[in-house]
Amino acid sequence: MKNKNYIGKIKSIEKINNDVFKINISSSLENCKSGQFISVLCPNKTLRRPFSIYDFDKENKILSILIKLKGEGTKYLSSLKENDEINFLAPLGNSFELFKDKNALLVGAGIGIAPMLFLKKEMNEKNINNYLISGFKTKEEIIKGSDETIVGGSVLDNIENIIKNKKIDVIYSCGPNIVLKKLSQTAKKLNIPCYVALERVMACSIGVCRGCIIKLIRNNEINNFSVCKEGPIFKGEEVLWD
Amino acid sequence: MGLEKLKTILKNEKTSKTLELKTPIIGASGTYGYNSEFEDFIDLNCFGAISTKGITIEKRLGNDGDRLFEVQNGLINRIGLENVGIEAFIKEKLPILKQKNIDFLLNIAGSTIEDYEKLSIIAQENEIKALEVNVSCPNVKQGCLEFGLNPNSLFELTRKIRKNYDGFLIVKLSPNTSDIKALATAVEQGGADCISAINTLRGLGIKIDYIGNKFLKKTVQGGLSGTCIKPVALYMVNQIRQAVKIPIIAMGGISKLNDLFEFILAGADAFQIGTANFIYPSVCSNLAFELNEFMTKNNFKDFEDLKGAIINE
Repeated sequence: MKNKNYIGKIKSIEKINNDVFKINISSSLENCKSGQFISVLCPNKTLRRPFSIYDFDKENKILSILIKLKGEGTKYLSSLKENDEINFLAPLGNSFELFKDKNALLVGAGIGIAPMLFLKKEMNEKNINNYLISGFKTKEEIIKGSDETIVGGSVLDNIENIIKNKKIDVIYSCGPNIVLKKLSQTAKKLNIPCYVALERVMACSIGVCRGCIIKLIRNNEINNFSVCKEGPIFKGEEVLWD
Repeated sequence: MGLEKLKTILKNEKTSKTLELKTPIIGASGTYGYNSEFEDFIDLNCFGAISTKGITIEKRLGNDGDRLFEVQNGLINRIGLENVGIEAFIKEKLPILKQKNIDFLLNIAGSTIEDYEKLSIIAQENEIKALEVNVSCPNVKQGCLEFGLNPNSLFELTRKIRKNYDGFLIVKLSPNTSDIKALATAVEQGGADCISAINTLRGLGIKIDYIGNKFLKKTVQGGLSGTCIKPVALYMVNQIRQAVKIPIIAMGGISKLNDLFEFILAGADAFQIGTANFIYPSVCSNLAFELNEFMTKNNFKDFEDLKGAIINE
């Protein structure tokens, strides 16, 4: 599907917790996949802001993102009102690879749960076995929808047992790099593929400017890949984390 | 299409070398990729040309670490000339440009005079119509900035490239100098057909947060672009206009129709759009259409007519 510049309208904004909002956008975007993102124009900012797609209601053409208040861009978005216009590029980036007969473990840390919930929905629709575990620093920060929620500790504390008990064949994750790195190492040790959704500051968001580069080892060669175009989903074992 | 009014001819009066552009709007190097990456968003026919990503002899991976730093009305980048190298460009990217009939400037950069000589020979062999020579990348430790800031070496460099290359030769100047007129004169005397300016300004972005009794610091040093540099660009273009007769392709913070008029008054003959593409991926075609509409509505018969009116009235 071609990328396009959409002018959508805010359908509604829901407050999820203290600093997380769900923004529902009505537009002519007809389709998108889990793992993909949109790039939102914020007035008075030089760069657009990338957000993972959190949900998509195909029938009513309503796209949802989760935003966590961080800087001026997210503050602007949270201040929008119903019917306000929102300018975004979509659907950007690659998407999660799905496997019909594999048991999937989904791991979301903090706001990284957003694309995991969309992935879970897609898997449920396709009857793919999945188990979503999420982790948050405090109970005030919890975003609902997981099969298991860890508060305070690390989402990875008991991960090896879960992988064994649930007979997991493939892992998907989004969250801080430190979580993705450790999870990728665990997955590699257990010889399970692990797909990670990465986040980077982006300029063009369509693979042109080379601003959001990550280094991967692929076919024994180190090369640059753009998170916006060739990602944001990569195989964890290929990523050079440091 | 209906953009005939926007046809622009850049001409070096001394040598009669010309570059014909469908419109005076050019996508700036580093913001347009190699060829048709923007076609999802834009009608490629609206372009006068795209300037390719800066190409070096060898493939370059560019800089490690953070490459972007957003500032008020601007952007600092330190990509570090990541590119596929000239061989891969000729083999993989050039055929797409030709097949899609996209007019382009081949933007080249080197770290030695020999690099530039080799690149200009390859450009000549491949019948590249227009060459834009980056003598002023601020993001590469050794190399091109040195040539770009010294009139003598810039004259030598231009002369050597000119010897190898028959096409339309554009030299892109750095604003990081106290005497842009001397650089412009050196380039003209060295045999260039055109000057493009300005490249990014050197800048330092600093972010400090006080979290948990500690200062968390981040610094990014690189090239500053975006609307915040426009007054500097206007000044530099105007200085260059006073120093040389060859045409000027102006850039630096252009994002709207009125910016084009301002740069014409300063001395521009065509324009490049860079950072604005990141905000509005269709900005180049929008500007072409807006310019065309303005000229039609106000009875300017062509781009020269408009330029004349702005400069002489």
